[in-house]
Amino acid sequence: MVRRPGPSSVPVPLLAPELPFEPDPGALPAPGHADRWTWLLSLRRQRPLVLEPWLLAIEVGQLEPEADLLAVLADQLDADAAIRLLRFWLQNPERSPSLPNLVGRVRDTAVADLLAAALADGGEGRLDSVCQTLLLPLLGHQRRSGDFPLLQKLVLQPGPRQVRQSALEGLILGLSAWPLPALRSTLVSLASDLDPLLAGAAVDALARLPNARSPLSLLERSSLEASVAERLQRRLRALPTSSLLLLVHGRADGFIPPDIRSLAAELEQRRGAPVRLRALTDPSPLPPEPLGDSLSLIPLFLLPGGHVRHDVPAIATALRRQGPVRLLPFLGAWPCWQRALAFEVVQGAADRARPRWLHHPIAGRLAVRYLAHLERVTGAACIQTPEAHNDLVALAGDQRGGLMPLCLGASRLSECLVPLLGEAAAAPLLARPALREGLLQALEVLP
Amino acid sequence: MSDSPVPALDGAGGATPLATQPPLTKVELAKSSFCGLDLAARLDELASMGWESLDEATLTIHLKWLGIFFRPVTPGRFMVRLRLPNGLISADQLEVLAEVVDRCGDHGSADITTRQNIQLRGLLLEDMAPLMNCLERVGLTSRQSGHDNPRNITGNPLAGIDPDEFVDTRPLVGAIQNVLLGPDGPRNLPRKFNVAVGGAPDSFLLHNDLAYLPALWQGELGFTVMVGGFFSAQRNELAIPLGLWLRADELPLFTLAVLRHYERRGDRTTRQRSRVMYLIEALGIDAYRDEVLETLRSLGGGAGDAVLNDGPHLVSRAPRDICGVHPQKQPGLCWVGLNVPMGRLDSAALYRLVELARGYGSGELRFSESQNVLIVDVPTQRVAALLEEPLLRRFPSDPGPLLAEAVSCTGNHYCGLALIPTKSTALAVLQELEQRLVLPEALRNHWTGCPNACGQPYMGQIGLMGAKARKEGQMVEAVKIFLGGSMADDPQLAVLYEKAVPLSDLPDVLETLLVERFGASRRNTSA
Ligand code: SF4
Repeated sequence: MVRRPGPSSVPVPLLAPELPFEPDPGALPAPGHADRWTWLLSLRRQRPLVLEPWLLAIEVGQLEPEADLLAVLADQLDADAAIRLLRFWLQNPERSPSLPNLVGRVRDTAVADLLAAALADGGEGRLDSVCQTLLLPLLGHQRRSGDFPLLQKLVLQPGPRQVRQSALEGLILGLSAWPLPALRSTLVSLASDLDPLLAGAAVDALARLPNARSPLSLLERSSLEASVAERLQRRLRALPTSSLLLLVHGRADGFIPPDIRSLAAELEQRRGAPVRLRALTDPSPLPPEPLGDSLSLIPLFLLPGGHVRHDVPAIATALRRQGPVRLLPFLGAWPCWQRALAFEVVQGAADRARPRWLHHPIAGRLAVRYLAHLERVTGAACIQTPEAHNDLVALAGDQRGGLMPLCLGASRLSECLVPLLGEAAAAPLLARPALREGLLQALEVLP
Repeated sequence: MSDSPVPALDGAGGATPLATQPPLTKVELAKSSFCGLDLAARLDELASMGWESLDEATLTIHLKWLGIFFRPVTPGRFMVRLRLPNGLISADQLEVLAEVVDRCGDHGSADITTRQNIQLRGLLLEDMAPLMNCLERVGLTSRQSGHDNPRNITGNPLAGIDPDEFVDTRPLVGAIQNVLLGPDGPRNLPRKFNVAVGGAPDSFLLHNDLAYLPALWQGELGFTVMVGGFFSAQRNELAIPLGLWLRADELPLFTLAVLRHYERRGDRTTRQRSRVMYLIEALGIDAYRDEVLETLRSLGGGAGDAVLNDGPHLVSRAPRDICGVHPQKQPGLCWVGLNVPMGRLDSAALYRLVELARGYGSGELRFSESQNVLIVDVPTQRVAALLEEPLLRRFPSDPGPLLAEAVSCTGNHYCGLALIPTKSTALAVLQELEQRLVLPEALRNHWTGCPNACGQPYMGQIGLMGAKARKEGQMVEAVKIFLGGSMADDPQLAVLYEKAVPLSDLPDVLETLLVERFGASRRNTSA
């Protein structure tokens, strides 16, 4: 069936034709008057609007600060006008609850000062919690790093729920303006708050920070309220994770010991993102295809030898031809790894003399400096593995202290030491549960 | 035409001396300073500066080219309007939106719009750069979805599955969007521009600036072109025939021609008179058509082949109620339309819709202009299980006749112009009326918070517009009531029936109206 169109046009004249408009406060139709909406629409189009008569009319009580009028004025307020209206509101907060939100968005030092003074203890006015709730997000809008402590205090300290939520909203609205470490630790503590709304919002805010995976992954181990824990999982799932390529020395023909392979497999499971392994001794060429959208290359080397100084940068350069690569420092340089080694030394020394690190031969000034640093941090001497087996036997029999092989996975060195020291003492570092878990955690939270 | 606001067409009609042209509006001057699309590369930088440091034009005009809306009512919490051509979205895409809304906590929500689209609320400026990357990754965009741009292109929400359809609108809508967002597309229109493609007998589209209605010419199925429909606070028009019939493959380039012509010739001196209908009236429909065809020729289109006609088409009835279980044209499959009250979705509902679309259907969802959602490709034998899903207690497939066809604008929760909280008022009043009354059929009711009419009150059998009224000496929230809108074969716009009914009186007033005019009967309350 073919239809003809209906009436070609159906004009519905709704408003009277426009008359010359006088933006005079006295002429504003009263609330509820049929013409008020149209009148305010015309006022909205007056640019620039002379604000003084409007501010005065509100201040002397000639005009009620109705939300519809304020919404029009708000578009054109400068800082002085905003301050006058905020001061008016602070005297009469009950007259127009919508005023702060509409007026306080002007970003200006004087506005921020006024808000901070009104909110601070002992400030002018001592606001009740309803008023604080209205002002705290506005203080966040001002994005002055100096206001962080006030917002932080009000969000962390026990107090009315709305005030704490508003202070958090203030922190969220100014997110990129606050000192990052302090903000991060504030949000981490809030994530365990008894109020699940606050805790959930803190998790969401953490997810927006740079390198969010790290604090969120750590939170996974805290005991969180069930809905907050679920929220945390959703945020973690949505965060982009870069693939990791773990670079190790390896044994002949690229063989990688099982303890390192199992570390990589567990890491991949924990991160929910690809973790690849590559041995320096692997004779096959690097895979030609890109290893994901972004790749972090992690040199799991314990000492700054030739591999770290020459081979690793060369591999990074080759990989960068395939896509973006983030090269991390070699593992031995990571402070958290050094702390974990120190802890292992303390543990190992608990029932006998302090052990010594037995490391692969290494030369050069950088190596010497590094070994001295490691001795200082861990409190254990570093001894180079002697070339002759007899010397190694003599070293193992030395009563001045135990030996710990400074090798990540099972290697020729650790295997040689087994008959001399016993299975447990000769274990490579990854066979030591605390070290393995510490390394896994450090790798897990990488972006 | 020396006093005409219509700028001269290059090479057709000579140049109007600049001195005689009225000045551009402030908005036009701001728009011409730079293209908002250029802000895409600077979103990270803008976020770290803070929105308060952006100048007003950047904040309230240019960011809308990326679909980013500053909301004065929720300063610091932004809205993002996507583009969903033909209202289609995949579960994977919806999951990304669910995550975005979820991370906004209590501030986050997603509204289904009357253009089969989605608006996300509660976002921070810091969210924008990662969001744009995520959208791109899953094949979505929010580009040019606000301000003076070609808005989301609508089509038959049942395209490709509709046993009644004449033509599948999906590829046509997609092709038009590709051309409009492509390198030759318009970047700075005088005003917003709505395009729609009809594919079924109930494709009512006359509220669009440019609507293609399925039509036959010498036995061949193509499209009759309708132009100039729009609603505003000042004036409401249904689209009129341009006098052209086009083949389906001509739609993308023709749309581009219409928009390029409008970009060049539309009025930029008075924003209240810059929708394309004013241009059509200024030129006259025949001259307007000739100029558009001239533009089409300049773009390499075969304007010489254009078929002149006087506007017959195959659209003959009001849009169907898409809620409920309906057989698709593919044997053994159904679509299940769910009523989303007032079109508002929270993150939990979004995640659940994703699971339902994956678990029961093909992983595709659709949004309708009635702000409802469809799960498609559900095997018949799986329908019963789907209907038992807990989400369907919130979003029923068999809503009451008032809720099924209720459309609402944002209201004062997010819009500074609203005179009433539109969505919550509509929901409360309709739920109350569903308790009181039995209606013979679904009744289209459109709620809008102010005369700007974003909720399309003139299209409703009942339209309700926010107002204020005096009751017992107090100023109270109220609505104006409009009646008589029809989207059937003799389209009508609703007209004012009641000037200002206080919200507290509204259930009673509407109850009487529904009984007296729409065949409702009162439930037996003693039962
Ligand atoms: S109709 Fe009015 S209240 Fe509703 S969204 Fe549009 S401008 Fe806002």
